[in-house]
Amino acid sequence: MTGFFVLDVPEFAPLVAAARRAPNVTVHPVRGSYRFVEFDGALDIRRSDTGLNEAVWFGCLTAGLCGKIVRFDAEQLSLIATNEPVLPL
Amino acid sequence: MTLSLQSAPRLHGVDHTARPTWKLRETVHFYRDILGLPLVHAITAKGWGREKEEHADFLHFFFDSGNESTIAFFYYIGTQQPPELVVPRGYMAMANHTAWRVESETELLAWQKRLEDQGVRVSQSVTHEVIESIYFRDPNFYPLEIARTLRDVETPDAVDAGLTLETAMRLEDTGRWSNIEQLWRAKAEHVIAHQELHPA
Repeated sequence: MTGFFVLDVPEFAPLVAAARRAPNVTVHPVRGSYRFVEFDGALDIRRSDTGLNEAVWFGCLTAGLCGKIVRFDAEQLSLIATNEPVLPL
Repeated sequence: MTLSLQSAPRLHGVDHTARPTWKLRETVHFYRDILGLPLVHAITAKGWGREKEEHADFLHFFFDSGNESTIAFFYYIGTQQPPELVVPRGYMAMANHTAWRVESETELLAWQKRLEDQGVRVSQSVTHEVIESIYFRDPNFYPLEIARTLRDVETPDAVDAGLTLETAMRLEDTGRWSNIEQLWRAKAEHVIAHQELHPA
């Protein structure tokens, strides 16, 4: 299972909308106030496609990540699947 | 062990916050004249009667910051500011700040304009998740913020905050926590468990 959770609140809705446009993304229904945005392989989201300002953008994975960040800057968020442990051993 | 919230006595908002100042005139001018907060109370005292501590004689004065709250200062007569109480430069010291509430974007913009007109350096407004804020500093270099609420925080926000902090405390306990990606990945497991308990 690869993807990220999004709390079902207005300020993060544009993130879900932007992710939904990718062909390899499945946006799951809200459960317990969270959506799971699932993707196959890799996912790139450009901040300009979300309309989020930086103060919100840089917290947009706050609901939880099942994957690995390979790029996260003011322009783009790039995620891939991972089997790596959360913490270094 | 989590203590029951049901048995906790309630708080009813801020009475006052207080900080020391070694710039009496500039502080009064800033809060009373530039911000326009009424000076509503002042205590003057001979130490606290704590002679062994050599507690300085002092003034403790209060400015009305609305909704029955005040912002207060101590002025310790004849003392020098200890180096450890000089506000450091940089973002970490900005965590120690006062944020006041206004009720509309119009009020927020009015404060921004007032501050600019009075020659105070003030930030552009920043929209966070649930508030929009402007930032500035007082003559003591204490950080100040004025914010308007964009939406009420509701039960899902509180549940999410609980999951975030529970995850973070567990990571802190490991002694190996170094970045936010680790938190987000560890939190996902808590969110999955939460969803299983709350399928609707």
